[in-house]
Amino acid sequence: MNRSDIKITESLDTSGKCCPMPMVDSNKAIKKLQGGEVLEIIATDPATQGDIPSWCERTGNELLLAEEMDKTFKYYVRKS
Amino acid sequence: MKSMTIIVREDSYDKILTPLAFAYLQASEGVQVDMLFVNWAVLALTEKGAKNIKVQGEYADRDQWVREQVAKAGIPNDIYTLIKAIKETGCVNFYACSLAATIFGVDTDSLIPEAEGIIGASWFLNEKADKADYNQTF
Repeated sequence: MNRSDIKITESLDTSGKCCPMPMVDSNKAIKKLQGGEVLEIIATDPATQGDIPSWCERTGNELLLAEEMDKTFKYYVRKS
Repeated sequence: MKSMTIIVREDSYDKILTPLAFAYLQASEGVQVDMLFVNWAVLALTEKGAKNIKVQGEYADRDQWVREQVAKAGIPNDIYTLIKAIKETGCVNFYACSLAATIFGVDTDSLIPEAEGIIGASWFLNEKADKADYNQTF
């Protein structure tokens, strides 16, 4: 899936934060969304590269796309 | 994972952060976390004790630096503030061990309101730890 195909519902910027806060904040943010809506998560903690795909697999939320640019990671997660 | 228990015995600032961070992480995902504070760590469940928690031992002179790094990471760097944030997830119970409470002078009145109370190790081990999916000790 391309970035241009994704309609973002909410964006969460966790830049500068590190474990556990990106996941704590992501859990809080996704709870506010309805099923099918998309959360954009921006992160600088490289641990999110493992944490977020694993979180999606566990929770049933769909990781539509993961991008990295200049040590910033962006994840697009559709709520199940 | 649906539930976990954490036994916390270390009360140095840097050492108590990890179990609290793990609890925060799992609770944010809806995992039920039951924490038993034993030994000196029971003091963390009192307002005065939580405020007095410091980096100890070899790294004691780096207390302020550690706190600054914790704040930079986005984590509340005051232990009581962190406990309150964890409690707000609605998935964490904080218990004071009765033996530790007796030895270190903690009574029900001195507990922070976020704590469930003073309980026996037998109850915790049988009703919480034995029934949890996962147990950790720090």
